[in-house]
Amino acid sequence: MESDPIGNLTSPKTQSDDLKVFDLHSRSKTFLFSFNYHRSRMRVPQSPYFRYVIALAFVGAALFFSLLVQGFLPDGFLIFFLSAAMLAGWFGRTGAGLFAVVVSMIAVVYFFIPPYRTFVVKVDEIPYFLAFLFSAVVTSWLGSARRDAEEKQRAYLDELFEQTPEAIMLVNLQDRVLRVNKEFTHIFGYTLQELADRPSITLVIPPRRMAEALQGRERLAAGQPVNVETVRLRKDGSLVDVSEVSFPVVADGRCIAYYTIFRDITESKRALEELQTAQAALAHLSRITTMGELASSIAHEINQPIGAIATNGNAAVRWLAQNPPHVEGAGEALECIVRDANRAAQVIGRIRSLLQKSPTPMFHLDINEVIREVLVLTRHEMNRRSTTVKTELTNQLPPVIGDRVQLQQVLLNLIMNSLDAMTEITDRPRELRIKSSRNPDHLSVQVQDSGHGWEAEHSTAVFDAFFTTKKDGIGMGLTISRSIIEAHGGRLWAERAGPHGAIVNFTLPIADKAE
Amino acid sequence: MNPMQDQVFVIEDDSSMRNALKNLLRSVGLEARLFASAQEFLEDKPPDVPSCLILDVRLPGISGLDLQKELARSNIHIPIIFITAHGDIPMSVRAMKAGAVEFLTKPFRDQDLLDAIQVSLSQDRIRRQKAGELAELEKRLESLTPRERELLPLVVSGRSNKEVAAEIGTSEITVKVHRGNLMRKMHAGTFADLLRMAAELKVSPTQRPS
Repeated sequence: MESDPIGNLTSPKTQSDDLKVFDLHSRSKTFLFSFNYHRSRMRVPQSPYFRYVIALAFVGAALFFSLLVQGFLPDGFLIFFLSAAMLAGWFGRTGAGLFAVVVSMIAVVYFFIPPYRTFVVKVDEIPYFLAFLFSAVVTSWLGSARRDAEEKQRAYLDELFEQTPEAIMLVNLQDRVLRVNKEFTHIFGYTLQELADRPSITLVIPPRRMAEALQGRERLAAGQPVNVETVRLRKDGSLVDVSEVSFPVVADGRCIAYYTIFRDITESKRALEELQTAQAALAHLSRITTMGELASSIAHEINQPIGAIATNGNAAVRWLAQNPPHVEGAGEALECIVRDANRAAQVIGRIRSLLQKSPTPMFHLDINEVIREVLVLTRHEMNRRSTTVKTELTNQLPPVIGDRVQLQQVLLNLIMNSLDAMTEITDRPRELRIKSSRNPDHLSVQVQDSGHGWEAEHSTAVFDAFFTTKKDGIGMGLTISRSIIEAHGGRLWAERAGPHGAIVNFTLPIADKAE
Repeated sequence: MNPMQDQVFVIEDDSSMRNALKNLLRSVGLEARLFASAQEFLEDKPPDVPSCLILDVRLPGISGLDLQKELARSNIHIPIIFITAHGDIPMSVRAMKAGAVEFLTKPFRDQDLLDAIQVSLSQDRIRRQKAGELAELEKRLESLTPRERELLPLVVSGRSNKEVAAEIGTSEITVKVHRGNLMRKMHAGTFADLLRMAAELKVSPTQRPS
């Protein structure tokens, strides 16, 4: 195609893909914008033959118009020939420009510089002729320099557009696709031919994201950039997670088109999910490990005095079994028993005070806000487990007094319990309901799920430490939750929700009345 | 049982347990010497009486199992009863293989401990008795003249005085005198006694030339 630029310009149907790219975004311009776009060889030189023909045509036109106006505008030829030089320079570059200057010079000498119709220049006309020559050379040079600059500029931007590692789509105000880059084809599977002049919205927007996309268009039309993380449709019908930025292209204060940049975030989303899964597993593991270590050290601490008590008891029995009974020895052993029993009690007391945290600062809290915060924390987990959440939060609830973090822990625990209970449910919707309401002197919060619940005979056991219905649970969640709620002056209880699932309720005293 | 003579050592870092063991042992008439760590025990000079050691597995510093190894290395043959708050099977197997008498998990039945103590003490008593006897025999062997000591392996091989005399190149009468002295010095009433003593002293009879 490089060897046949005229063919390119006159029969665009034979052009390669790359040239169609060019063809598309210059379709409204004349054939004279013979910019040959190619990624690796950006500047395709035009045939010298063609350039000189063009130059000659410009000069011919200039001569025609000059002769036309010569009668009433003797110096009019200047404008026409200078214009011809500049245009020839613009289209044909330096060579064609200079060629136009030379031809113009001959024409001017022959037709417009006395003596007319000769190739002779009178001596006193020489400065005039030279001035003309100089101006022609300068304008021709200006033309070709301008053209070079434009072409470089375009090459810079084209290369950037094409090589950017993110998918870029340019659409006009009517949402018709004007141009896309290599990465776009890579991500979405569409080539430009398949997209050109078609509305972008019908191609890459999945139907259930249409409302969101239309909203985005409205904001774009208002001149605002739009930045969303969403799902887009590929040519093969599959979906792709993208981060999408759209912004208007403004020229002279007027929006002329829109750019949209897509980044494929499938990988980073998966990495994030894997990270979160790993973190959750780690947290679970460390909780169990901590509990295990705690239990083992408690066992050791308690076992020592208990062993001593048993041994002293045996000693006392043996003293008393002697004939006559050795009361003094038995008394000594019994004293030891009392001391060891006290020591065991102290150990238990120490553990208890360890578990009871130091008094936490209590603040006025909006329980609905706490619920919403926890829902934000668990949103990802719920999506992952395809669970829907329905909230019925009563507005304008009076504040409660409490420790935000502890109450969050309770809610987090109840929600995670519910999610765990629904993991294996497939025959009914996995639904979590959270309700807050007001009673005369307390607020109540209800967390209900559609999970497997528990057997009727376990109804009282669910609050026992180490009772669990989960495969890998440790059975401390509800126990701890209840002690937190009770420390806040409230109550926590659980019931089976018929026909499926469980309801956990808790109450918290209203702030004013609690004081 | 000889309570005044026997000695039970207890190494246990928990003071409640230590005292409880002392109370229990006293209630059956056993005197206990108490130590809070293996180091304390090693620094102590134990009396030369039948004794046994009640040893906690988990101790600060040198552990119970380490002490067991240490004692074996130093040729101190005291029977050991291990007690532990949480003993696992491999640990107890290790202890028993290394010669422990018993491995008890707290809280243990007092009778189990007392039985183990009796077994240990009688083991130690027998061992000591044997060791004492051997020492006595060695003393007697020392008191023999070189000629008498040369004669001993020949005599216990069952040779007659005549054969012995021929073998060492002396008269039968001289052999008879030496033999009388030998029997007297070794406190051997009969020839059978002498044979047993020789066996214990590991004096092997001289083989007849074939």
